[in-house]
Amino acid sequence: MDLLKRLDPRLPPRKEPRLRLGLRTLYILPTGLGWLWLGGVGLLLVVGVQTQTNGPLLLAFLMLGLWLLALHLTHFNLHGLELACGTPSWGFAEENLPYPLLLRCAGLCEGLRLHWLDASGEPLTLDSLRPGEHQLELPWRPTSRGLSHPGRLRLLSTAPLGLFVCWTIWQPPVAQLLAPARKAGPVKELMDAAPAAVGRGQAMRLEAGGDDWHDLRPRRPEDSPSRLAWKLLAQGRGHQVKRFATTAPQALVIAADPSLPREQALQHLSDRLCRLHRQGIPFGLLWQGAVVGPDEGLAHRDRCLLLLAEAP
Amino acid sequence: MSRWQSAALLQWLAFGLLAAGLLALRPVDLLSTLAIVITVLTGLKLWEARRLQERRLVCLLQLVSAGLQGAMQPDLAASLLQGTAVLVALGGLLALELGTAAQWGVLMRRSIGVVLAALPLALVLFLLVPRLQPIGVFPGGWGAVAVTGLSDTLEPGSIASLATSTAPAARVSFATGAPPSPEARRWRVLVHEAFDGSRWTAREDDPGEELLAWRNARDGKGSLNQVWLSESSPLARLPWSGSGSPSSRQLRVTARGELVHRGPRGQRRAYAITEAPPPFIWQRERPGPELLALPAGANPRLEALGASWASGPPLERLRRAERWMRAQPFRYTRQPGVLPEVAPLDAFLFEKRQGFCGHFASSVSALLRAAGLPARVVSGYQGGSWVQPLSGAGYLDLRQSDAHAWSEVWIEGLGWLSVDPSLWVSGGSTAPALSPAQGMDPLHWVERQWWGLDLAWTRWWLGYDARSQEALLERLLGDRRDALGVVLLGAMAVTLAGGLALLSWLRQRGQGDPQRRELDRCLLAFARQGWVPQAGETLPQLAMRLRQRWPELEPELGQFVARYEAQRFGTEAVRPGAGELRRSRRRLLRRWRRIRTPGPESAGGSWR
Repeated sequence: MDLLKRLDPRLPPRKEPRLRLGLRTLYILPTGLGWLWLGGVGLLLVVGVQTQTNGPLLLAFLMLGLWLLALHLTHFNLHGLELACGTPSWGFAEENLPYPLLLRCAGLCEGLRLHWLDASGEPLTLDSLRPGEHQLELPWRPTSRGLSHPGRLRLLSTAPLGLFVCWTIWQPPVAQLLAPARKAGPVKELMDAAPAAVGRGQAMRLEAGGDDWHDLRPRRPEDSPSRLAWKLLAQGRGHQVKRFATTAPQALVIAADPSLPREQALQHLSDRLCRLHRQGIPFGLLWQGAVVGPDEGLAHRDRCLLLLAEAP
Repeated sequence: MSRWQSAALLQWLAFGLLAAGLLALRPVDLLSTLAIVITVLTGLKLWEARRLQERRLVCLLQLVSAGLQGAMQPDLAASLLQGTAVLVALGGLLALELGTAAQWGVLMRRSIGVVLAALPLALVLFLLVPRLQPIGVFPGGWGAVAVTGLSDTLEPGSIASLATSTAPAARVSFATGAPPSPEARRWRVLVHEAFDGSRWTAREDDPGEELLAWRNARDGKGSLNQVWLSESSPLARLPWSGSGSPSSRQLRVTARGELVHRGPRGQRRAYAITEAPPPFIWQRERPGPELLALPAGANPRLEALGASWASGPPLERLRRAERWMRAQPFRYTRQPGVLPEVAPLDAFLFEKRQGFCGHFASSVSALLRAAGLPARVVSGYQGGSWVQPLSGAGYLDLRQSDAHAWSEVWIEGLGWLSVDPSLWVSGGSTAPALSPAQGMDPLHWVERQWWGLDLAWTRWWLGYDARSQEALLERLLGDRRDALGVVLLGAMAVTLAGGLALLSWLRQRGQGDPQRRELDRCLLAFARQGWVPQAGETLPQLAMRLRQRWPELEPELGQFVARYEAQRFGTEAVRPGAGELRRSRRRLLRRWRRIRTPGPESAGGSWR
């Protein structure tokens, strides 16, 4: 595989949203074992010639035949395979994220290995893929927030005999939205100064109380069944409990610490608002002069994190 | 069982097969030592291998090891062992690469499929790629450990008692399938020319004899006449009849008429002799003055007796020796007692007058030298048992107890003549009569049947050599030999494409719904008898129709339908395995084949 590491930078990656592997997109070379195999063929030929015996000669030619067969079999294993991107969900920088891929096989594909070349992440090994479409998630570890690509993907196979390695380089064009990495640290905490905030109207409505629920959270054992979101349960979305607000939430508003470098401040902010969400504390985010919230719940958290992800 | 465990299981199995092959291999030369070392290294590597690359390397080492063993042991049992080891080693390699995981039966089937796909290409290369000549000769060995009944020195006076060993020495089959005449059942191995008064010694090989040997080998242009399987021996010489020509360039015929193998010693040897017209060069090779040499005074009475025959034509001198030997009261015995160190042959000829073939051959050869005729002692085998196995052609089974010695004398104008003094004194009783092997215990019977198969395999396997290839190319291409490259490339392309098509077919055959395949086989069998599912008919309905017409299909039909339905629609707990459904299908089709009568009903449509 060292040879591949040297070759990969010189091979132009394909950037189509859907890539069908064929003669122009697949590369193939003998593996180390493939070269040694040829050496073994040579050794047996010499022995067969020297001893004038048929056994080593036939075995040497059989091994040569297997070598030539493996060249085609390894290539045919990937030939016709289609690669496409799924719809990636957002995530946090500096954490392992699944990148969705769609693989459509015309025939049985065996011994596939997928590996990001430009991003760190565990390679994915697939023993066999039956004909049809398969959804995969290949983990990667992004380093920066915002819209980011995992870079080049290497798909390779040495099946069935390990004598040849056949591979392709593809750069999935769909980017994944990434919130700042979650790193604990100081943020600026403000009390709700009630400015003209984003989502302020919603908060006002919550203060009014009443029968309307404003968010959902996972059900706990002590929750009354009357608070269960039956409709969602029927839709198969699990046991969620409606959250009602009859009093105004605590008006904690957080903002990036201006004394810190901007990216670091955003990372601390990202961590803090995740923790506030986990603790069930309503919070607002002071963002570009306006307060988002104060509010609580998953939707509010995500809205805030996406603002951080897209921050200029 | 994980994929690694499957691979490890197969690789250890392959190692075990190769290690079993080593049991018959002795480290007596470079090649056999290399085979042993590589096999042992394979085991060590397998023991410590943790990474994929290391496991792959183990497979390659196993294949090389099998090839090296194939060079040393071409006989049937060893070939079967090596072939199985190759298949299992490839199964191990497939297990490393593929995800078929624990199903090592599947892996073995794929291994066989891959080998079958590559085999036509291998055969094309094997048959058509021109055979190269050996570049040199492997070192001859460093310490033979095997034993035969023959030795390169012959000193009968030092032997008090000759033990009878029934250990196998060699087996030979003939193109005619029939045993040779009794006179022709003498197989020479060693020629002892140097005589020191008590001991006859065979000379070491002389490189200068190669020219003669090569000319002799080239004389043979006929078909395979004899195929030999010789047991391991520390000697480079092999038994043969002295007529014909060796089929391999590894074999040489010396000027003394010995068949020498230039490869490593101490191994079982398979070789073939082709027909060649007489006379043979070694029989016309004029002896040097050293073949008249007698140590003066070593056996004075013998020298005096021989000298008394020294006048007259050579044949007359030989007849005088024969008459004298026949006239004396010699007795053939295997317990002659030790002869004195001083003048041992005098003591034998004029006092004890009892001995075995070695005594007679060495005494007569010395007498003939004293009479002025170049003479020497030849040791080898005589007789043998004719075995007619159930399969294949008959063969001659030679044992160590068939070891024999006789004399050769040079007669001007006639060349080297073989004379057997043992026959003069015993009237032929030393040579066992050729008869079918009888009175064998079952184990020996099985052993001889196996040897028959072994010889048939060897005849076939050794039959294709450089000469056979030349004949094949002559038939295929005639004088258009320059087209060989194109033919070879074309044949490679065709066989490669055929191999890929075969693998593709095997793969498609293995895919799809296995339950549906079982059902389709049944439906096909029913359809051949005119029982086709009607439009919209379910499997139970079709079964009901069949049951009404063929009640004897029960209970197999009902069982198959129930299992298919359970497999398709049942819960995990009641779902039978694929194997059970397959067995059920087999039972149903067996029952169906017994009925065999075409059904009267036939309807169109297809069933799903």
